[in-house]
Amino acid sequence: MSVPVPAASLPSKAAVNVGLGVGLKRVLGPDYRMGFIFVTPIALLVLSLVAYPFCYAIYLSLTHKLVGMPPVFVGFENYIRLTWDGFFQRAVVNSFIFTFGSVFFKLILGVVMALVLTSPIRWRSFWTGVLLIPWVAPTVVSALNFLWIFDGSLGVLNYLLVRVFGILPQGVGWLSEPGTAMASVVAVNIWRGFPFFGISFLAGMKGIPAELYEAAAVDGASVLQRFRHVTLPGIRNIMIIVVLLSTIWTFNDFQIVYILTKGGPGGTTMVMPVLTYETAFGAQRLGEAIAVALYLLPALAVTIMVLARYMRKGRRR
Amino acid sequence: MKGRGSATIEKTLSYAVLGALAIGVLFPFYWMTITSFKTEEQMRSIVSMFWPKPFAVENYQQLLAKTEFAAWYGNSVFVAVSSTLLATAVGTIGAYALARLKFLGRGFMASATLITYLVPPSILFIPLYKQMQGLGMANSLSGLIAAYPSFTVPFVTWLLMGYFESIPEELEEAAMIDGATRFGAFYRVVLPLSAPGVLAAGLYAFTQAWNEFLYALVFITDGKLRTLPVGLASFITGDVYGWGYLMSGAVLTTLPVIAAYIYLQKYMVEGLTAGGVKG
Repeated sequence: MSVPVPAASLPSKAAVNVGLGVGLKRVLGPDYRMGFIFVTPIALLVLSLVAYPFCYAIYLSLTHKLVGMPPVFVGFENYIRLTWDGFFQRAVVNSFIFTFGSVFFKLILGVVMALVLTSPIRWRSFWTGVLLIPWVAPTVVSALNFLWIFDGSLGVLNYLLVRVFGILPQGVGWLSEPGTAMASVVAVNIWRGFPFFGISFLAGMKGIPAELYEAAAVDGASVLQRFRHVTLPGIRNIMIIVVLLSTIWTFNDFQIVYILTKGGPGGTTMVMPVLTYETAFGAQRLGEAIAVALYLLPALAVTIMVLARYMRKGRRR
Repeated sequence: MKGRGSATIEKTLSYAVLGALAIGVLFPFYWMTITSFKTEEQMRSIVSMFWPKPFAVENYQQLLAKTEFAAWYGNSVFVAVSSTLLATAVGTIGAYALARLKFLGRGFMASATLITYLVPPSILFIPLYKQMQGLGMANSLSGLIAAYPSFTVPFVTWLLMGYFESIPEELEEAAMIDGATRFGAFYRVVLPLSAPGVLAAGLYAFTQAWNEFLYALVFITDGKLRTLPVGLASFITGDVYGWGYLMSGAVLTTLPVIAAYIYLQKYMVEGLTAGGVKG
């Protein structure tokens, strides 16, 4: 980036125009005209669709806003009330369980997927394509599929476990019983999200020079040692990026929980995005709803900053 | 001898794991498809569990005849195609500027775009809804077309920045020495070279718009104006409720995405790995 330099002395009029052009180029950069024209649409979109709504959200969260009524400024009251609200506290805990449970298993399955796809197999691109399907399929469709698979009376999961394999004596209402609902929605989130981990790790593993593995093999490293000392360090940065990215996405995942359980039974799967939606469009309390969404904003902001740094660093290499 | 044995074991293990993962991944789609060809009667009496006998197409007929599914399909195509074209155009020129051109504020804009990509919709959907209401665009498809760039544009931009950065700068310099303008170098040299990347990015934008649920759920109140994901989900709370119905709709909703994906799998995987995350 160029350093702003004060315009030189200004002699004649013709020279002023040229001098101005050169001066502008010095200050704004050599490609400033095309650059400004090309980024203006993005700048407008970012301002109108993200920056403005974001600021508006912060303002609304500091008000009592009922649907159809003007907002009344109340300061941090919404946040304070939420802090002592038992239902909200449970939603926070549920969100963390949902997120970390999902991300942990996605990470493990992703590593497994990348490892098998880098091992000497036939039809590698076919397998890669198959395993990526949950990632490209519409999430709503996947959630509806699992709603049907998990169905307590006619669902195929119970059919398989009870009638075909005889593992369970009788069917389970996977999504309607408090004991299994959370595990079930987490399972669906893992199913949908692990391919992204896998494909990213696969890309990282392909970037590790083969000589490193050969050298390790010459030194007598076992398969596990090679994985531990060559593979893992080689994909460390990608792992950090993918885990942080997935943490943000999973924490804010709305559709899977909304379609499978709507937060039930009895609030056992109520996570923060669903609570935001319910508070806004069920209870019609917009201010409080946005306070739910923004409650963990400091943590989200820190995560985004750290992640953005890693992503930009990854690019520069 | 020992090496060979362990290689065989490794191979067998790889195939076993692959098989298990593939079954886990494909089973829900298999189940969706065969359910869509079963009658309610077949389902309730738990006959022909894993292969419908006979194959029934009533679900599809009824879905198209008795519900607004066809209208939803049209809505989804319209919204996804329009917002994809918009996002790809804006994202392509923006990404080129951020990747290549030298101007004041470039670093800041690049960071802003990336951060925008990371801000989750769950904190934006209420204010965006109010905003669209204020503009009279709530409960209309144009509201969705206007809102979807909030996630497609940053994504496309970020993806294509990586793509443009990987194209050697010397090509443009050579073109400019031959008399091309900066814009000409972009339009005639860089753009044709990045066609696969632009295609992949556009395809991603399309699937994201096609699959979007939260904004469409919140913005649209008129049943006729729903997009497919929201329309499908409305079957589970609506009066007409049958799994065969629902699954035939699910199959038809998945088809375009999967078709596009199979056709462009190579580009998509490359796009994802080359531009998406690179560490």
